[in-house]
Amino acid sequence: MRRQPPKRITGLMPAGLLAGMTLVAGSHGLLASGGARRCTSEPPARSVAEELERYEASHASMGAKFTVAAYGRDPKFLAETIEVVFEEIDAIDEQMSNYKSQSELSQINREATSRAVQVEPSLFRLIQKSLQYSEDTGGAFDITVGPLMKAWGFFRGEGRVPSAEELHTVLARVGYQHIKLDPLGRTIEFDVPGVELDLGGIAKGYAVDRAVGILRENGITAALVSSGMSSIYALGAPPNEEGWKIVVRDPFDSAVAADVVYLKNFSMSTSGNYNKFFKLGGRTYSHIMDPHTGMPVENMLATTVFAANATDSDALSKLYVLGTEGSRQYLAAHPDIQALFYLPAGSEKKFKRVLLRSASYNLPPDALVKIIQ
Amino acid sequence: MEEQGELTRRDFLKTAATATAFVALPHVSGPQAGAPSPNSTVNYGIIGTGTEGCTLLRALARIPAAQCVATCDIYSPNQMKGIQTAGSKPQLYEDYRRLLDRKDIDAVLIATPLNLHTAMLLDALSVGKHVFVEKTMFFKEEEEKPIRAVAAAHSKQVLQVGLQRRSDALYQCAMDMVLAGAVGRVMFVRAQWHRNNDWRRPVPDRKYERLINWRMYREYSGGLMAELASHQIDVANWAIGAEPISVVGTGGIDYWKDGRETCDNAQAIFEYPGGQKMMWSSVLCNAHYDFNEQIMGDRGTIEITLGKGLFYTEHVAKVSEGAPKESWWAGATVSELAKQQGFPIYRATGNKTLPANDAWYEELTNFIASVRDGKPVACGLEQGIADARAVIYGNRAIDTGQKVFWPKTTS
Repeated sequence: MRRQPPKRITGLMPAGLLAGMTLVAGSHGLLASGGARRCTSEPPARSVAEELERYEASHASMGAKFTVAAYGRDPKFLAETIEVVFEEIDAIDEQMSNYKSQSELSQINREATSRAVQVEPSLFRLIQKSLQYSEDTGGAFDITVGPLMKAWGFFRGEGRVPSAEELHTVLARVGYQHIKLDPLGRTIEFDVPGVELDLGGIAKGYAVDRAVGILRENGITAALVSSGMSSIYALGAPPNEEGWKIVVRDPFDSAVAADVVYLKNFSMSTSGNYNKFFKLGGRTYSHIMDPHTGMPVENMLATTVFAANATDSDALSKLYVLGTEGSRQYLAAHPDIQALFYLPAGSEKKFKRVLLRSASYNLPPDALVKIIQ
Repeated sequence: MEEQGELTRRDFLKTAATATAFVALPHVSGPQAGAPSPNSTVNYGIIGTGTEGCTLLRALARIPAAQCVATCDIYSPNQMKGIQTAGSKPQLYEDYRRLLDRKDIDAVLIATPLNLHTAMLLDALSVGKHVFVEKTMFFKEEEEKPIRAVAAAHSKQVLQVGLQRRSDALYQCAMDMVLAGAVGRVMFVRAQWHRNNDWRRPVPDRKYERLINWRMYREYSGGLMAELASHQIDVANWAIGAEPISVVGTGGIDYWKDGRETCDNAQAIFEYPGGQKMMWSSVLCNAHYDFNEQIMGDRGTIEITLGKGLFYTEHVAKVSEGAPKESWWAGATVSELAKQQGFPIYRATGNKTLPANDAWYEELTNFIASVRDGKPVACGLEQGIADARAVIYGNRAIDTGQKVFWPKTTS
């Protein structure tokens, strides 16, 4: 089979590669010696940073605004690559949305109680991964909380407090243990009726990773991908910067900075109670559920987790549910994670922050997570 | 029935026949009406007091500077309606030329069937009247030349065409946005005017069919293209800043096979010098999309109709050279609706939203102010001609099934 040539060449080659080719050509005598000398002895007229252009585009998908910014020589090539990224994200949404009845996920939800449903490989792997996160976090992360979200009115709803009986009924079909996977047949089955998968806590991070993969495949070395602020991957760094500057918002005020982070070849995700909640009878109910109790988690404002990829950081931002004490156990067993907890500090509008780190913490040399309060 | 139709037609056209002959005759300039002094009242007469004429009269009745002194119609129910609507005891005429004879009339409004516009317009200008003529300005291609000639000879008189979107605050605001680049480079205007009815008016006596339902008959009317598309083509011309260079179209009498001669299902695509396209459709058997115009550029979309305008942005990419200071924000997911809601368009000064008035009231306020105070007209000769041409060529494209190109000699 003939290999297809790469679709896009323009702008693909980084400066270093071009320089290398010139030298090779020179060694074969194709270049005049003067030309070769000029290439090696004189500094380039313009620095690499000056030649790079910045391209940024946004796209609504998965109920969020995805934004990609990238640096490169050819903005047209960047635009085309980012368009491929957005197509990929849309395809993930078409497959994994629980808001779309035609998605593969919705079909699984309809049919996996009555039969073992065969699953597309990438979705199967993501579900496998999800179950692993559930086990590792003692069920803090759980892709079966969908019915709970509905009971509390957070799915296309206004918010309501379910009765104790209702919660009891709903909890009977919540819990990752109800998902039975067969890796050989690549099938999924639920062991009780009414189980529903909801990948809302991981799919955006997963989409960010797929986006970064496409950017990398196309030779892009400096880019940032953000899924509506919640999951961000920083690929490389902007020209002449040590990392991408990211401001973590104050839990009480979206326009105020709580922390500033410089991020490079690393990911961060945030779960917070401030964008989806309702107030009733003087109490505020957030949309983040404790899958064990069926109740919204209290005493936590937001949790930002730093991990090597966005699938990890998105899922692990549910350390929110475990709180600082509960998270220590996880961090003792899993390397290279940092978690920044924003906790209520008694009075209104005040918070305290707690930064926890894996017991084993050795980032790769090309990664950077610098947190400045 | 045949005989009845013929009788009616003769009746109906007897005033027009003389007037049409007049087009061919050399014009004798009538006395120029002196412009009324500021603060004085503009005396006007209106020719044609059917539905549209009465809409104009109702708006004019709210303008203190305008005084209706004469009405003209040949159909008695409309005669009564016109007098009542004017509310100022105007003198009624059956022959519009008698109305034009009146020296105390400053301005004349023409709201008659399309085939009568040109004769009346030329006669009125020639005797020195300021003229407001309903859209479409003229009916046949060859009428453009005499209109240009007479208008040039009477350039001190006001000539306004009743494309009232030009006077509408919302449309003006939208066009300011277009000019300021809010939607980027306009490449496409889509417009539809859809109804689910037969587009007929009730006829108390069959002998009045052609008189009342003149829009159904090609002898008097350009059909949906002239009566509905004309407004929307004007919006496209305005937004694109040019008139079309070619048009393709299709259409038929496909649903209301009731003896009508004008299409009930028509579509056309106009092309502009910069490659921009305007796509128009009109159907009379489905009203779901109602009527509006959608102005599409590479940066956004304006969706507009009388009384409602929405602005949508494109998720536009930003290109910048060098490295600006990066600063990104992180937090819990900010939800984004899959479908943008659109930002309402309105005119504002400071923090105050200015209410938009009825478009007819605005266009006639503009007309009266032009007559009395010399204010520039909101929609004049050139806009009216460009619009009428597009209507004529659009209908020709539909009739012939051929692409029609604008004549090279025109500006």
